[in-house]
Amino acid sequence: MKACYEYPKSREAFLRAARVIPSGVYGHLGPAEGCFVPVEAFPLFSSRAEGTYFYDLDGNRFIDYMCAYGPNILGYGDPDVEEAAARQRALGDCTTSPSTVMIDFAELLVDTVASADWAFFAKNGNDVTSMAVMLARAYTRRKKIVFFKGYYHGVSPWTQKLDYAGIIEEDVAHNIYLDWNDADALEETFRRYPGQIAAVISQPYMHGNFADNVMPAEGFWQKVRHLCSENGTVLVIDDVRAGFRLDLQGSDHYFGFEADLICFCKALANGYNVSALCGKDFLKNTASSLSYTGSYWLSAVPFAAGIACIQKMKRLNIPASLNETGKKLRDGLIETARKYGYDLHVTGALALPYLRIADDPSLRTHQAFIAECVRRGVFFTNHHNHFINAAMTDADIRETIEVADEAFRVLREREA
Amino acid sequence: MKDPTALAYVNMYAILGAIPLLCRLDEQAAALIRNEKVSVGFSVRGGPAATLVFSDGTCTLRDGVQGASIRLPFSSPEKFNGMIDGTVTPIPSRGFTRIGFLLRKFMPLTGILTRYLRATPEDLSDPVFFDRSTTLMLQVIAGAVAQLANHDPVSRVSAGYIVDGNIFVGIDNGPHVALSAQQHRLAVCDAQEKDCLSYMRFPDMKTARALFDGQVNAVVCVGLGQIRIGGMISQIDNLNRILDRVACYLA
Repeated sequence: MKACYEYPKSREAFLRAARVIPSGVYGHLGPAEGCFVPVEAFPLFSSRAEGTYFYDLDGNRFIDYMCAYGPNILGYGDPDVEEAAARQRALGDCTTSPSTVMIDFAELLVDTVASADWAFFAKNGNDVTSMAVMLARAYTRRKKIVFFKGYYHGVSPWTQKLDYAGIIEEDVAHNIYLDWNDADALEETFRRYPGQIAAVISQPYMHGNFADNVMPAEGFWQKVRHLCSENGTVLVIDDVRAGFRLDLQGSDHYFGFEADLICFCKALANGYNVSALCGKDFLKNTASSLSYTGSYWLSAVPFAAGIACIQKMKRLNIPASLNETGKKLRDGLIETARKYGYDLHVTGALALPYLRIADDPSLRTHQAFIAECVRRGVFFTNHHNHFINAAMTDADIRETIEVADEAFRVLREREA
Repeated sequence: MKDPTALAYVNMYAILGAIPLLCRLDEQAAALIRNEKVSVGFSVRGGPAATLVFSDGTCTLRDGVQGASIRLPFSSPEKFNGMIDGTVTPIPSRGFTRIGFLLRKFMPLTGILTRYLRATPEDLSDPVFFDRSTTLMLQVIAGAVAQLANHDPVSRVSAGYIVDGNIFVGIDNGPHVALSAQQHRLAVCDAQEKDCLSYMRFPDMKTARALFDGQVNAVVCVGLGQIRIGGMISQIDNLNRILDRVACYLA
């Protein structure tokens, strides 16, 4: 039986953090939003990362199924990406005139992403989803934006909900929320608000939290595409989370349609801080007209890292390889769960699996399972999809299944 | 930012709704109602209607004002809220002969409640008072959450994301409350933790109180393991958004 991890140094660091940082660790990496149940089962700070592993302050090693919530796609510290970044760093990063590596990166994206005629760079996913909405409004001179419930498009006020702290009615006054996969509701919405809808924004499939992830229904995207074109509405795909893990040409390409605007971040540069909005030619002039930039948005090192990352993803045919790894993980986990009488559901794309033990609607059993896995060095999270990376080996999957086996056994013994 | 109708529901079911518990917890309050057999109905046009029934030394709150021996009508939620604030004096439409109860019993009763709910540091230094005050606050907050979830436009957004099932909020070795969510409407209910879909637990009265008083941050407390959350955490997440609104309404 594997010894369970303990985290005294993480706890100590969290106490320090709580004194000087709001929430200690805020956002999705923090224990509250990250749903660390119980908190004692989880590390709170890392000391280093390599390949598919990260190590916490107490020296515990974790097989990392969160991949920093997506950016780690090739493996932490991938040598090819690091070498490209180091080469560029020696030449210059944040400079008065941008490096031409920016052009190289844009050209590579236009060559790679099926629906891209141009690329615009920023730092975070939120930067480019916000730009997409501004751009759609500028182009159409309309106000309303359609969302599909369960969405996450960042943290700017327009992406948040009326009941969130700091949000006022005007921030979300033009948001329309529809159920995922309900193309008929979208059609009705276009009828109700003729000439008023600037954009429909959506993730390529529903990878919301606390619920099984849901793929698009047959013909859904084609109907959405048709309705947007018919009504002069911009179709925005938020591919920040799934981008490049499903299809190097974009998740719209994977599902057989073309977005007008598509947002990338996470897997774009293997952890280097860059995001990209790619778009169709007819929106390029309007994109030029926006007042939209940032101090570090044209830094060269992340561009060099992004180029190396995309080239390597192409060489390795990343979507196929992640799919294969994800399949081994899914099959192994489901079989192991079944052995102990648990009904484990694995939904969403295989490269971004969402786990849920369906026996217990309160999710307590699921949370207990996840905690036992984390204590034994497999970093799963409770209610968010996971991420597969290319550095994950068959040995890592085997170790994961062994840990899951032990975790399920512990649960059964506890219930007896 | 406060909706007067939602505030009237909070005042009726969370604030006045705490009087039954007050009468069980506090000897002075219990003594005030000991031999009383009277009912006070509050009827708010465009808002709630409920009756506090005092009988055999106990107090209960029931919906509606039918049969109330004293009836206090209010022409608007604002007027009712004014009575709770002490800026409006109600005039009974029925029960003039029982007006002495209002002046000599009911008013002192609400005075005791106010002392517990707006406690001074000096009062809170008494451990018995501290426990009673915190117990009442927990009850009032739960009541306010339910009313805001159903009537406050912003909180209704949060309630719209709460899946069906009970939510447990409790203090270890202390009081607890539960809320039932059905079709995005919330109600205070009497459920144990094992019958709840999600839970939020405080280790002791002190931690709960510090959170109620806004002296500590809930997210940090979760990180430190001082507040335990689990189960269907999306319920707790949305409950916390309504708790923010409770703070706004009860401020």
